[in-house]
Amino acid sequence: MSRLALRGYIGSRPLDGQRVPQHVQNLVVRDYAARHGLEYRLSAAEYVMPGSYLMLEQVLAEIEASAELQGLIAYSLFMLPPDSRRRDAIWRRLAAAGAVFHAAVEELAVAGADDVERVETILSVHGALAAAPSPSFAI
Amino acid sequence: MTAPSERFAGVVDDVHGERLAAALLERGWARQTAEARDDLEAIRALVVELAASHLAIDPPASSRHGEFLDGLGERIAVDALNDLRLAVFRGLAARTWLRPAVFRLARRALEVLVGNELAMQRRVNLSIQMPGDDSSLLPLHADSWSGDSPYEIVLWMPLVDCARTKSLFILPRPAQERLLPAGEPGILAAARTVDELFERVEDHVQFVDVPFGDVLLFDQNLLHGNRVNREATTRWSLNCRFKGLFTPYADKKLGEFFEPITVRPMSRLGMAHRFPKVPETPPREPTP
Repeated sequence: MSRLALRGYIGSRPLDGQRVPQHVQNLVVRDYAARHGLEYRLSAAEYVMPGSYLMLEQVLAEIEASAELQGLIAYSLFMLPPDSRRRDAIWRRLAAAGAVFHAAVEELAVAGADDVERVETILSVHGALAAAPSPSFAI
Repeated sequence: MTAPSERFAGVVDDVHGERLAAALLERGWARQTAEARDDLEAIRALVVELAASHLAIDPPASSRHGEFLDGLGERIAVDALNDLRLAVFRGLAARTWLRPAVFRLARRALEVLVGNELAMQRRVNLSIQMPGDDSSLLPLHADSWSGDSPYEIVLWMPLVDCARTKSLFILPRPAQERLLPAGEPGILAAARTVDELFERVEDHVQFVDVPFGDVLLFDQNLLHGNRVNREATTRWSLNCRFKGLFTPYADKKLGEFFEPITVRPMSRLGMAHRFPKVPETPPREPTP
């Protein structure tokens, strides 16, 4: 029986101020797929414009329309939209399609409500830290 | 005797160059005959040799190279295409003469349109699109939307005659400026996916016909891509990006993606220049 495939999803914008070359993002995504026995499909690269999720939406639409795609492997969890309502819609669409979201850097898979709660907690803390004053730990 | 002109020379100094520049500025792409036909033939012969080797068949005579590439769809199934593509791509990347040969196909045009100090993409891309194949599509995009610098130009080189859906489409500059004005949402306001965006530009894009022997230079800031090849034969094309060496880089960096190819003497001298160091000396005392 053939395995179901997952679409890679990489970015063109810095993550937390850090730039990761796209070919390195792809290596991480491919490596994640190989180590978890997943069939990888060529990555879609999100557009560089701030706030653009056109490519992510395209991948979601592709998953919803495809019997072959089992989900997506994003380079990082933190590529998801910062707006929790928008993420909630993404989780509901993936659940309705029976699809799984994987985050390669964080080694996380979101396949159900418990997983959603787990990653949403991570994303909430990340958002709070980004908004909080950053103390200096320099001596 | 007429007075010397008060104008600096334009960016170009001949009619062909002026036509190229006007086409790129006004429409967004310029087509011309390859400047080095022998190099183009050598590149195509290499692609044929690599493909034939992968398929374990004898390569055809040079007079049938185009026919061989066109007819790929009769030799392999779509699910075997990616292995072939990778084999040919790796074979091309291993030939150190390939990039200089690609550059010679449009050197004069690149100097007119981009500059004479250039950085060139380190790996020349290969595209194969068999008739009816929907697995090898490059959806609507602008390279600069995906991490390329707005200063880059694409040199697109078909290895077979490409027309209509066998070729690529580009959104002409006037249409892009109207539909996606700088700093405004334009049609992005009503498009949530790339497919929805395509629906809004579909009536405005143009497939660019390019026969073998010609090359295309286009502004990758314009939306472009390909659709399912509805023609009878297979598309084979190479593409490679060039930019002014000292123009800003984006996510495709100097070193990892681009490499300098034509550094001029004064730039080398300037980059190597160091002022002499003035030694720290104690203050000079007044002479008694």
